[in-house]
Amino acid sequence: MANTLRSYLACIRNTLEAAMCLQNFPCQEVERHNKPEVELKTSSELLLNPVLICRNEAEKCLIETSINSLRISIKVKQADELENILTKKFLRFLSMRAEAFQVLRRKPVQGYDISFLITNYHCEDMQKHKLIDFIVQFMEDIDKEISELKMSVNTRGRLVATEFLKQFV
Amino acid sequence: MILLQSPSRFLLQTLSNRVQNLEKGVELDCNSVEFDDVRYHIQVSMRYPQFVLLSMSLPTPPPETVFIGGLPYGAIDAIKAAYGVLVQILDPPRDGFNLTMKFNLSKLPPDEEQRQAILVKIASVREVVLGAPIRLILKHLASRTVAPNVDRLVALVHRPMESFFLVPQAEKVTVVLPMRFKDSIDTVLATSFLQEFVAARRTTGLNNAPPCSWSPSPPLELKGAPAQALSVNAGFVTFVIFPRHVEGKKLDRTVWSLSTFRAYVSYHVKCSEGFMHTRMRRRVESLILALDRAKPDVEKSRKAANSRSFKRLSLKGNPG
Amino acid sequence: MDAAASRPAVVIDNGTGYTKMGFAGNVEPCFILPTVVAVNESFANQSRNSVKGSNWQAQHSAGVMADLDFFIGDEAIARSRSSTTYNLSYPIRHGQVEDWDAMERFWQQCIFNYLRCDPEDHYFLFTESPLTAPESREYTGEIMFETFNVPGLYIAVQPVLALAAGYTTSKCEMTGVVVDVGDGATHVVPVADGYVIGSSIKSIPIAGKDVTLFIQQLMRERGEHVPPEDSFEIARKVKEMYCYTCSDIVKEYNKHDREPSKYIKQWRGTKPKTGAPYSCDIGYERFLGPEIFFNPEIYNSDFSTPLPAIIDKCIQSSPIDTRRALYKNIVLSGGSTMFKDFNRRLQRDLKKIVDARVIASDARLGGELKSQPVEVNVVSHPIQRFAVWFGGSVLASTPEFYAACHTKAEYEEYGASICRTNPVFKGMC
Repeated sequence: MANTLRSYLACIRNTLEAAMCLQNFPCQEVERHNKPEVELKTSSELLLNPVLICRNEAEKCLIETSINSLRISIKVKQADELENILTKKFLRFLSMRAEAFQVLRRKPVQGYDISFLITNYHCEDMQKHKLIDFIVQFMEDIDKEISELKMSVNTRGRLVATEFLKQFV
Repeated sequence: MILLQSPSRFLLQTLSNRVQNLEKGVELDCNSVEFDDVRYHIQVSMRYPQFVLLSMSLPTPPPETVFIGGLPYGAIDAIKAAYGVLVQILDPPRDGFNLTMKFNLSKLPPDEEQRQAILVKIASVREVVLGAPIRLILKHLASRTVAPNVDRLVALVHRPMESFFLVPQAEKVTVVLPMRFKDSIDTVLATSFLQEFVAARRTTGLNNAPPCSWSPSPPLELKGAPAQALSVNAGFVTFVIFPRHVEGKKLDRTVWSLSTFRAYVSYHVKCSEGFMHTRMRRRVESLILALDRAKPDVEKSRKAANSRSFKRLSLKGNPG
Repeated sequence: MDAAASRPAVVIDNGTGYTKMGFAGNVEPCFILPTVVAVNESFANQSRNSVKGSNWQAQHSAGVMADLDFFIGDEAIARSRSSTTYNLSYPIRHGQVEDWDAMERFWQQCIFNYLRCDPEDHYFLFTESPLTAPESREYTGEIMFETFNVPGLYIAVQPVLALAAGYTTSKCEMTGVVVDVGDGATHVVPVADGYVIGSSIKSIPIAGKDVTLFIQQLMRERGEHVPPEDSFEIARKVKEMYCYTCSDIVKEYNKHDREPSKYIKQWRGTKPKTGAPYSCDIGYERFLGPEIFFNPEIYNSDFSTPLPAIIDKCIQSSPIDTRRALYKNIVLSGGSTMFKDFNRRLQRDLKKIVDARVIASDARLGGELKSQPVEVNVVSHPIQRFAVWFGGSVLASTPEFYAACHTKAEYEEYGASICRTNPVFKGMC
C-alpha cells in the first residue's frame, strides 16, 4: 500500500515538473489583461491535454495545463462516512484560509475535493521545485491528517466511554 | 472536565453568596437555562433576605411520558425527602414554570460541612426532580423487587419532546436511549462514539460495568412504543442495570448519568470538534511554512505577514 | 423563528482580564472569571513532536486525555499554583485574541461547565474591541458555527454596548464617548448614533494591568515582605480593594503623613509555600496606582499624555457637529474605572482643558462673539464594571436582536465572511 502511494506521488511530481513551464501571456481578448487561461479556456491552442493520475477509484489527481497557468485538483480518499465528514471539515477549514496559501483555489473544481491554481507569477515569485514539494507535501499531509483525525475520534470515543462506564464499577 | 456534574454551578454560586451574607438584603432576579431546556429562575427580595424562591421549568414531555401536576412521578416526595424542613412548595408555581420552591436559608444547619452538603443538594435540584421516577425504579431494583403498578415499558422525558425508556424487572432494569442529533456532522461523530461504548465495555477492567449495546434499529424492548419515539438518526443505546450498580451511594451517580447520557455524548462530540480545530490550525501553520520555503526571500515576506493593522494603530512604547 | 429564539440569548463579554457571561435579560452576569486557561503541559510537548516517534498511538491517546484536562478562570490559577503540570495561558492580550486554541477551549468550558447550556439552543452575543481585525471576527464565527453549532451569532462592539447600558437607566443616548479601561487595553471611542467613529479612536498604553504592576513595583521598592510568587496577585487585590482617585497628589501625601493610622491599611496573608502568616502595609500606592491615568510619567517615561487630554483630543478629531454631544455624554466602562471618584477627577480635568480653550477662543475673537459654554459630563453608574455585558444583555433581549443575528443557515450559505459585518440594529436607538 505504501508503495503505491510513493509511486502515485512520484508520478504527480514528475507530471508537475513537466507541466510547470509557464510563461507570461497577455489576454487575447481584452487589452492589458492577463488571465489564467486554464480557468477561461477561451482558445484551445493555449491549452494542453489534461492529465488524470489515479491511484484507485477514490483517489485521483487532475492536472490541467495552459500557457500561463496550471490547475491541480485532488480527490482525497474517503472510505467511510466519518472520513468523508473529516475531509469536508478539514478542506473547508483550509479554504477559509486560502488567502494565506496564495496558490489555493477557493472552490475546488467540480468532482474534486480541493484545487490549486498556479500562475506564471507564482512561478516567478517562488522556486519551482519547492512549489512542487509543497503540493506533494500537501497531499501527504492531508492523508495523514485525515487518518490521525479519525484515530483521534476513535480514541476519544473509547476514553469517553471508559470514563462513563467506570462510574458504575 | 470529563463527566458532567450534578450540581448546577450557577445555583451553587448564587446560594453560597446568599448564605455568606444572609443578613444583607439584596434584590436578585435571575434566569438561567441549562442543557435540555431546564430553566431556573431564582429570586430574593430585599425584605426577606433569608428566603430564596427557586422556580424550575422542565422539558416539555412527549405524549408517551406522564407528568402528574406538571411534574414527573414522585418528584414532590423526592423534594420533601431531600430538603425536609428547608423547603416549602408553592402552589401554583410561578408563571411559565413547573415548580416553585421557597427555601428558608435561616434553617440551614450551623455546621459548615453539613451546610455545604445541603447547598450542593439544592443545586442538584435537577437530579432530584427529573431523576425522581428513575430513582424510584432503581431503588426497587436494589431490593430486587419491581415497583407496584408500573408498566412493562416506562417512558421518561430527558429532552423536550423526547424520552428514554426503562424496562423494570426484579433482577435488572433495561434502559434504552434513542439518540438524536441536529447536525449531520454531530450525528456521524456521535454514532462512532456510541459504538466505542460497546467496545469499551468488553475490556477487562470494565467487566462489572452495565452491559451496553448499540443498534441502528429499535431493540426488541421497545415493542409497543409510539412511532415518533422510534425515529432516530444516531441509533439506540441500551444499558442493562443490575442491582450492583445501584447499591448505596452508587444510586445517585447512576440516576444522574443515565438521565443526562445524551448531554454527555453531545458535550464530548463538541469537545472533539474543538480538538480537531486545534489540530487543523497546527497543520495549516506547518503547511504555510512549507509554502514559505518556496519563496526565495522568506525573511521579508514573514515580516509583512506579521504586521497586523491594529499593531500600527497602537502607540509606541508598550510598558513592561 | 425557531425554538432557540424563545430562550434567552447567551451574552459573553471576553475581556483581557475578566470574562463576563450570562443570559440576556438578567441584570448581572452569571459568572465573572479571569480570562485564563491552565493547560496540561504534557499535551503541548506531545503534540510538538507528534510527527516523529514510533509509539505515536499511545502518545495520541495521552494527548486526547490531556486535551480534556484543563481548567479555566479561578480554578486555572489555583491549579497552576498547586502543580507544575499545568501552564497558564492568557488567550487575549491587549484586547485581541492571540491564542485561538486556548480561546476555543475557554469558550467550551464557559458554555458546558459554567453556564451548562446547550449551545445549539441559544443565540449568542459576543463582544470585541473596536480595533479587532475582521479576520478575527471570522475566526470567532467559524468556531461558534462549526464547533458549537450555535443557531445565531452577533458580534457587538464593546463601546457601543457600554453606551447601550445606559439605555435603561436613563434616556436612550447612542451618541457619546466611551472611556473603556479594561485590564489589558484602554480605548477612548467616540460613537455617533450607534456607529463607532473609527478614525478618532484613541488608545493609550496604560490599563488596569499597569496599575497592578505599578502597585507591585511600589510595594517591592518599599521593601514590603510579600512572597515574590504572590506579589502580583496581592497587588491586584490591593488595587481592587483599597485604591481611590485623589484630587491632588501633594495634598494627598500630606494627608497620609499627618494621619498614617487612618490612611495606611494592613494586608494579611499566608505564604503559599510554608503557610506562615505575614502582613504588610499599604500606603501611598492607594492613590498613586490610579494616578497613572492622570500623570502617566510617574509610571512610564515614554508616555506622558494624561487620559483627560486624550479624551479631549479624541473629541476634537471627531466631526464638528458631534463634538458638543460627545462632551455631554462621556461614559465610563470597564473594571479599572471603578476607583472611587475616578469620574469626578476626569470631569474636573477635562472641564479645565475645555474651559481653557473656550476662554482662549473668546480672547482671540476680542469679545465680539461669546461662545456658548460647553457642557462636560462624565457619566458613572454602579454597573460600570460590567457595563459592556449589561449593554449586551439589554440588546440581546430585544426582539430586533434575533433579526440582526447571523444564522447558521447564512453561515453555511455564504461562509464565515458574513461575520465581518454586524448591523447596528434598531434596539440600539
